[in-house]
This record gives sequence, structure tokens and C-alpha cells, in this order.
Amino acid sequence: MSAPAIGSHDPASEEGLIRRFLNATELDTRMLGMVGALLVIWAGFDIYSGILRPGDGLFGGSFLTPRNLWILMVQTSSIAVMATGMVLIIVMRQIDLSVGSMLSFIAVSVGYLQVYGLGPALGVGHPAIWIIAVLFALVMGALVGCLNGVLIAYLRIPSFIVTLGGLIAYSGLAWWVIRGETVAPMDQTYKLIGGNGPLASIGPFWSWILAFLACGGIVAAIITGRQQRRRFKFPLRPIWAETVIGVVGSLVALGATWLVNSYPWAPKVIEKYALEHNIPIPDGALDASGDAICREGDKIVRCVNGLSFETGYAIPVLIAISVGFLMTFLAMRTRFGRYVYATGGNPEAAELAGVNTKRLTVMIFTLMGVLVAVSALISTARLDSATNSLGQFNELYVIAAAVIGGTSLAGGIGTIYGALLGALLMQSLQSGMTLLNFESAYKDMVVGAVLVTAVWLDQVYRARMK
Amino acid sequence: MKTRFLAAAVGALLLGLSPLPAMAAGKTIAVSWKTFQEERWKTDEAAIKAVVEAAGDKFVSTDAQGSAQKQAADIEGLITQKVDVILVVAFDSDAILPSFKAASDAGVKMLSYDVLVEDPNALYVTFDNVGVGRLMAKVIQDAKPEGNYAFIKGDKGDPNATFLFQGITEVLKAALDSGKIKNVCETFTDGWKPDNAQKNMEQCLTSTGNKVDAVVSENDGMASGVVAALDAQGLAGSVPVSGQDGDKAALNRVALGTQTVSVWKDSRALGKAAGEAAVAIAGGADPASLAGVTKFNSGKKGVEVNAILLTPNAITKDTLNEVIDAGWISKAEACAGVKAGAVKACD
Repeated sequence: MSAPAIGSHDPASEEGLIRRFLNATELDTRMLGMVGALLVIWAGFDIYSGILRPGDGLFGGSFLTPRNLWILMVQTSSIAVMATGMVLIIVMRQIDLSVGSMLSFIAVSVGYLQVYGLGPALGVGHPAIWIIAVLFALVMGALVGCLNGVLIAYLRIPSFIVTLGGLIAYSGLAWWVIRGETVAPMDQTYKLIGGNGPLASIGPFWSWILAFLACGGIVAAIITGRQQRRRFKFPLRPIWAETVIGVVGSLVALGATWLVNSYPWAPKVIEKYALEHNIPIPDGALDASGDAICREGDKIVRCVNGLSFETGYAIPVLIAISVGFLMTFLAMRTRFGRYVYATGGNPEAAELAGVNTKRLTVMIFTLMGVLVAVSALISTARLDSATNSLGQFNELYVIAAAVIGGTSLAGGIGTIYGALLGALLMQSLQSGMTLLNFESAYKDMVVGAVLVTAVWLDQVYRARMK
Repeated sequence: MKTRFLAAAVGALLLGLSPLPAMAAGKTIAVSWKTFQEERWKTDEAAIKAVVEAAGDKFVSTDAQGSAQKQAADIEGLITQKVDVILVVAFDSDAILPSFKAASDAGVKMLSYDVLVEDPNALYVTFDNVGVGRLMAKVIQDAKPEGNYAFIKGDKGDPNATFLFQGITEVLKAALDSGKIKNVCETFTDGWKPDNAQKNMEQCLTSTGNKVDAVVSENDGMASGVVAALDAQGLAGSVPVSGQDGDKAALNRVALGTQTVSVWKDSRALGKAAGEAAVAIAGGADPASLAGVTKFNSGKKGVEVNAILLTPNAITKDTLNEVIDAGWISKAEACAGVKAGAVKACD
């Protein structure tokens, strides 16, 4: 490629610049496209909501506010966790339609266990309840997922059929466990997993610590990456490209942290917390624009310089991010992951090369079951109750998230971060349209259309890349 | 031991194979359920069966398993068996009309139970669904006569969601028109799902900056999502919330004060009323002459039918004893976590 002349303004050379930047940074252009689409959607919602009802958002609406983005992240986490597993399943040329019903089954079981089992046996509020409940759910998820996997791998029943059967059967089981009742309330510590409200987050201090750790991690990853490339005589990225990646990555981590740390606790929550923990509330005058609380006479009012708390990262969001990292590591850096992609790319060749594809299938479905259990924990904790309807239709959203994120149904192709972005994109559309009071019929139409459009764009993109 | 078991097994088999006993004096009353996969219908069946058997009549039931075709075949089978009365919980209230006509032609008396079937010859036994909406709105309006209201409606595809909202707006119309009550959020909830209701409520609180004074939620499941969303903002307990169904978790919330009202339709009362009507009709009574029968024509097609409309109960903190006394929920379940002296029914 010839270097463009400095100061030249013809479009071809600018395209050359962009291409040179992308080549040097080795960034996934598809991912950049998704991030771009996400930002456009967010800005659009903020502007539109601002027209309807002015707010404090970046463009004068109520979408791009710390509060809404914080809630958006929490709302996304359950689907996001499952989508990371679905990527690997689809990469293996399989499908799991049973995740929604499985979530329902695990959710009601773990709810039943807490309310009717552990609560009466250990005493409500016993500190071991949440630990037992979490372990129970994870083991149950692994078992159910393993069952799916064994049926698919060893009895050679197509995964579509096994999990379609699961979709129906697990919802029946879920109904059978609690007979259509709603089980509530969940254990107080367990509830924190759901991130419902500011108390279920880690606060600004630990959020900043995490942010700095993340920045350190990014720098360390870049340095070790360079060393590895040098060791194996791979071409190195130019230093400026490494710097850009490091700076942008760190800015994203710091920015996200700044965002979640700018979401103040609701005044009523501060009031309750202060009363429970005997924290004095300072005197001050009423100012409805403030996020703090003050004592004015014998009344508690909103004010600017009073008692206030910032929220920080919600626990389910941290769970989803950790799952994302672990799964990425598993997919990119382990033999297990390489086998999965190899099998997905060409099952016969992988088998001939000595990959035990049957065992691999069982493992991947077991992993999916565990991830479904994690989502079941998040969903029940967030709703503070367990019902049959939790998880219903989740399989559709999970598969859609993976596919929007660039996972190919033909197998062999798909990334974890793509699925996470896909989940965030879909939830953004839904939350945004709810914020604008769209009728739910329109929401369904838009989400469906976006799914199909995303796959079409993907086809066009892949065809051009060839 | 082994032989006794065998004998018992053979006996059971013989009993199962033996022809139905001849109906001497008793009539046969049948129920065609749309699906038996929901908890509540079992309660209804027990209530109907008790009334029917106490009157010396015979009770049979069929389960359409959520299929309109299966339900039509079920009813055909019941007509062939020459039952006297069929109570139908229609899966599809239009598709079932030919079956109703065929039954009437064969001299079988028909009742539509809980779900309206617009056949002028059938007696409709149900709770007053518009009344449920009215009752919900009334309790919430009493608790919060003015302010910003959020409306969390049920699934857009379910006519009951619209019936309910009809009753709700009927009560609140004057206050909405005069501006005393402001409708700040109104949204359907896909599949009546609690987690969707939670998301909708979160979005409502975000868009209004927590300025919501009361929430009318069309059922208890969705109320659980609404209360969770309110709880995250420290508002649970100070914002009135409605619901219906008498869910155990919801009744507990009523006792705890985070939900204001759960409108309760006692399915045993409904089963009892329907059972009694069926027994009377089987004995030759004219449906129009039964006690409590009114004319009903608010269906889609406006067909006038005879109807028994039961009034639901509004369960609030003050009337919580009604569900406990009726044995619907145990005191321990209803009052879990309630502080002494807070609720009369719990002390």
C-alpha cells in the first residue's frame, strides 16, 4: 500500500488512512460497526426522549443519563451471561433452545429451596442460605445441561430436537415444582446478586479500584502480547497503535466507572440507610434539584450539599463482565476453546485429528447449563421472587444476541464480546422504546427487524471481506 | 404380601374395566377444561365436584390441553355419552360456538365458565372482570386521590387486560379529566411477566424522575416486579400498588404494606355457584329463573346471554382475615415478616 501524500484531500487517501489505522491496530471492524450502531441508537433515544420530556441526558433527554445506563447494564446482564455460552454452542454447529425453560426450572427450584427449605430449616436470614442456594443452582444447571449434552452426543439426537424437547419439558418441570405459584421473598444477601437498587452494588471506592486494576490489566496484556509475538516471530503492531489501544481501552474503563459512580442513590434509599445505620443527616434547605438529603426542621428534604451516596458497579454487571472475561479466555486461550472452534469449522476433520467431539459436546452443554444457572440466580435475585414465567422466551433473546453479535449459524465463527454487545444492543432498543412509551407491538417489530438486518449486514460484510 | 398386592391390582383393573353404573336418579354433569396445566383449575374442579356429588349427581371432566380441536372433540364425546349439562372453559371462545350449538341441538344444557362464549342458550358464570378493574382503581384512588399514576397493563393480546383497564378508567375518568390524576406511564406487559413489569416500571421511574405517586398493576405477578422496581428507589411501601389473583406472595406484600390491594376471585365460590347452577339446570330449572342471573351483553359480538356475575373481594390490610379465614392462605404464610401490631389479621 502506498503512503498517501500529506495534506492531500482526495477521499481515496482518507479511506487509506482509516484502513491503515485498522490494519495497524488489528481491531475487529465488525465490532467497531456495532459499537458505532449502539452509540447512534443511544444518542437517538436521548434526543427523542428529550423532545418528549427534557431530562439531564447528554443531549437533553433521559436515556444517556448515569441512572438509565446503570439500569440498562443491570437489565442486560442475565441475557448477556447466557449469550456467552450460546456463542460456543452455535460455533459448534449446535443450538440450545431450552435455556429459557431451564432458567425457569432452576429459578423456581432455587426459590422453593430458599423459601420452603432453607428458610424454615436454618432460620430466615441465616448467612449460609445464599451460599447453599448458589451452589445448588450451579450444580443443578450443570446436571441439566449435561443431560442435554449426553442425549445429543451419545444418543445422536439432533440438538435442535433435544433442546426443543427441553424447552417444553423443563417448563413443565418448573410448573410442577411450584404449581404456578410465585415464591417470595428471597434471602437478603442472595438479593444482592440481582443488583436491584443501589445497595446491591460495590460503591464508588471499589469501583475505582477495579477501574485502575482494569487499566493495569490492559497495559500488562499489551506488553505480554508484544513479548509473545516477538518470541514466536509474529509481526508486531506499531508502537503508536499499541498506545492508541491502551489509551482507548483505559479511557473506556475509567469512563464506565465514572458513569456508574455518578449515579446517586435515590433520596428515599439514603434516608432509610441513614436511619438503619444511625448516620446523622446534616441540616440544609430544600432544593429539589439536589441528589442529597438534608434535615429541614423535622422534615427530611432533598438538597444539594447534604448526605448522599454514589452507586458504583452493580453486582450482576460485575458477574456478567467476569463471565465475559472467563469465557473469552476459555475460547481464545485454552485447548478446549480451540477444539470448539475447530469442531465448528469442520467436525469431520476435527474428529479425524483426534478431538473427542462427543465429550466436547457434553462439556459445552454442561457449561451452558452452569451459565443458565448464573442467569437464574441474577433473575430471581433481581425480581426478589421466583415464578414460572421467569426465563420464558429468553432462548430467543439469547440466540438473537449471539447472532447479532456476529456468531454464524454455519458454525466456526463467533466471539464472546460480540454476543455481549449484541445483548446490550437488544436491551438498549427495548429499554429505550419503553422509555419513550412505545407500544409493545412496535417494540417487537423493531427488535425482530434489527435481528434480521444485523444478519444481512453481516453477510454483506463477510462477502466483501473475502 | 405379594398375593394381596396382586389381588388388589386385579381388583383395581376390574373396577377400571367395569361399565359405568346406570344412572338411576342422578344426572351427569361434565366440565370441559381448556387446560389443566394451571394450578387454579384444580381448585375450581374440587368445588364443582363437591356440589355436584352432594346433590347425588355424577361428575366427569375432560382436559382440552390447550387445543381448540381437542376441546371440540371432547364436547362431542360428552354429547355422545349423553351427559345432561356441560360446563365449558373455552380455549377459543369463537371456535367453540359450533360445539355449543351441537350440544343444544342434542338437548344438552351448556354453561360457559369463566370465559365468555356468546351463545344465547348458554349460561355464563364468571367473576365480573370489569368489576375487578373498578375495584382496583377505587382502592388505589382512596389511598392516593391525586398525583401521578402509572398503569402497568397485562398482555396486549389478552382481552382481559382491556376489560380490566376499562373498569380502571371508568372509576378514574373524572379525576383524570379534571387533572387531579395524571397518567404518566401506561404500558402493556408482554406475557403478563413480572420481570417485564419490573423493566417497564424502572423505565417509568427513570423517565419521570421517580415522580410516581401510585401504580395500578393489573395483576399480582406484575405487582411483584413493580414493587421490586419501587424498592430499588426506596419507594416500596410509600407508593400504593394494586394487583389481583390473591397470590400468596402478594398477600404477604399486602400484610407487609408494600402492596395496597390484591383483588381476590375466590375460585371456590365460582366453582360452587357454577356447580349449583348446573345441578339446578340438570334438574330441569330454566337458567333465566335462577337466583342471581342477570343479562350480559358486553362481549365482542354483543350477544345477550344469561349470566351469573360474582363480585370479587378487595383484599387489603384490613380485610386480610378474609383469605386466612377462607383457608386460601395460612396465617404464617400471609404474615411472614410482619411486625407485631402492624396488621390486625396477623396478631
